Amino acid sequence: MQEKLIQIEQEPPRGDWRDPHVEFHKGAMCYSAAAKNLTYLGLPNPRTWQPTDSNWKLPPDWKKIILAGMKERLKKYRSFRLFMDICVRCGACADKCQFYLGSADPKNMPVARAELMRSIYRRYFTLTGRIFGSLAGGRELTEDVIKEWYSYYYQCTECRRCSVYCPYGIDTAEITMMGRELLTLIGCNINWVMEPVANCYRTGNHLGIQPHGFKDSIDFAANEASEITGLKIEAPINRKGAEVLFVMPSADYFATPHYYTLLGYLMLFHQIGLDYTVSAYASEGGNFGFFASHELMKRLNAKIYDEAKRLGVKWILGGECGHMWRVLHQYMDTMNGPADFLEVPVSPFTGTVFENARSTKMVHICEFTADLIHHGKLKLDPSRNDHWRVTYHDSCNPARGMGLLEEPRYILHQVSRRFHEMPENTIREQTFCCGSGAGLGTDENLEVRLRGGFPRANAVRYVKQKHGVNLLTCICAIDKATLPTLLEYWVPGVEVGGVHELVGNALVMTGEKERTTDLRGEPLASAALPASGEMEAVHA
Amino acid sequence: MSAEQAILQRWIERTLKSYPDGMAGFLGEERDPFRNPVGHTLRENLTTLLQELMGTMDQKRVAPALDALVRMRAVQNFSPAEAVRFVFGLRQAVFEVSGAVPDSLATRIDELALMAFDQYMSCREQIFELRAKEIRRRAQYAAFEEGEEP
Repeated sequence: MQEKLIQIEQEPPRGDWRDPHVEFHKGAMCYSAAAKNLTYLGLPNPRTWQPTDSNWKLPPDWKKIILAGMKERLKKYRSFRLFMDICVRCGACADKCQFYLGSADPKNMPVARAELMRSIYRRYFTLTGRIFGSLAGGRELTEDVIKEWYSYYYQCTECRRCSVYCPYGIDTAEITMMGRELLTLIGCNINWVMEPVANCYRTGNHLGIQPHGFKDSIDFAANEASEITGLKIEAPINRKGAEVLFVMPSADYFATPHYYTLLGYLMLFHQIGLDYTVSAYASEGGNFGFFASHELMKRLNAKIYDEAKRLGVKWILGGECGHMWRVLHQYMDTMNGPADFLEVPVSPFTGTVFENARSTKMVHICEFTADLIHHGKLKLDPSRNDHWRVTYHDSCNPARGMGLLEEPRYILHQVSRRFHEMPENTIREQTFCCGSGAGLGTDENLEVRLRGGFPRANAVRYVKQKHGVNLLTCICAIDKATLPTLLEYWVPGVEVGGVHELVGNALVMTGEKERTTDLRGEPLASAALPASGEMEAVHA
Repeated sequence: MSAEQAILQRWIERTLKSYPDGMAGFLGEERDPFRNPVGHTLRENLTTLLQELMGTMDQKRVAPALDALVRMRAVQNFSPAEAVRFVFGLRQAVFEVSGAVPDSLATRIDELALMAFDQYMSCREQIFELRAKEIRRRAQYAAFEEGEEP
């Protein structure tokens, strides 16, 4: 097999890839950002337009703006210049992108997608390109190139699977980020990104939920957790002087199946007696600014440290979210830190010092819970999850962005007895993206999502057929929002859930009433499996 | 190589040609089903379909194989005609190998084409239903934002 691979044509196809013309099809594109959202954020060129229009109403000096923007970023980000210069087009990344694998569109090869920008870089920023033009791999910057960038940089979920295989360490996601930043300079944004950004900027969360609405929904969840357990479970909001600020993606409190994960958090915090608070302003861990430009990302992220400071907490705990963690783990510290007013996080129950969060002061809920379980602080009854045959989808950002591979698995092994991994080359750092991340998870773009998610769904189908898997767990709010649709199309019969939903099911709480249903209200199947020592095979 | 294998080979090659230039190599050669889900889906299910067309046309095998192929091609930017054209590719493949297409087989290929068209429509309808479902869910969230319970 290996020998065969070497023969694969991995060069970008000759001749036609330079033609920037793209056709936009309804159902396979994202709608443009509404003018009101750009105006609210003070961004350039707010107007009414759609990608299918022939006239995109670009500003008259759009070309100058793009080239000046590129020049500025090439100077500011050494990585960007390096990535523009060093690719040798070896093709190692070519067949690693799920959009390429699912769509069979050559321009979705990461090398080709990067080449869309690299060709402009060569033409305008290298001596050979300026002199020899297309002979040196350069292309003229035309309106068609802008349309092509819009099409392909909004067909990349910045999942970084390709970067795992690049021998030079080129992070193609960063090239997509640069592409999107440049498009932002001339008002070529998508609404699925800019509306949440504008809402977040106004109220702190994607839907624009105001503090009273936030309180209602958190109280509603606390009441439901109380009803399930027979305990009086409360969720403190904006409580000054708490030890820990808990930040979650807003979908956890307004969307399903995310909501069951929220119930799981609340039950866990109650059982261990965590001294915590949530914030009605830092009411969104997600950060769609990250999908448009670093300035917007920074603006939205600032609320987390601000709230931690205002509430006087010691450290921050974060919920199950994907790109939220890429921002927190890799950018927050340098963007809005140092958080020298916070303390290095220490688990009050195990004494574990989270050395990895020494700088950001923010711990992932899976690290926190895995540590609790490891130290025997939780009593768990995994038979309460026996109605699920579970597999785990490594959400791209926690897996590749922060190396969170073992903790969720450790937890899942403790809270369920029927866990089955998907094939090795589709999990952990090689995980396939859901196909809907980085702001692409909107219904108008469903066909692109179904193509991009096909490799993931294909691996889910395998464990469904082989082991009867009926629950795909993950720790990303976008996954939880979009994978149900993906699976309904490709692998009907497999549900999507969070890791802490299963924790909530399995958690034996002091003084709780007997559980007859899981957090979804489905009857438990406790008697279905032998009591212990009968764990099913773990690997596919 | 048996005649059936030769026909299959040609049918797969013809179907691969519906993808952009330069793709056929990867889709045709990479055999890992997870690294190459499109190629794997094509090979596995065209094989099943050919066996059944030459055999008993067991609907329990034909329907899932056809569904896997059409479901994939229904989201791959093909026109409806292009999405199901692969069925007729078999007619040419048989002709190239055997010099003639037996009437009984030609009838079965026609039947399969009609089934493929039905399946294509059902996949497309499902896509629109899924879109509508997402929009409805979004409307519920918007209502929630206005103060209703989730």
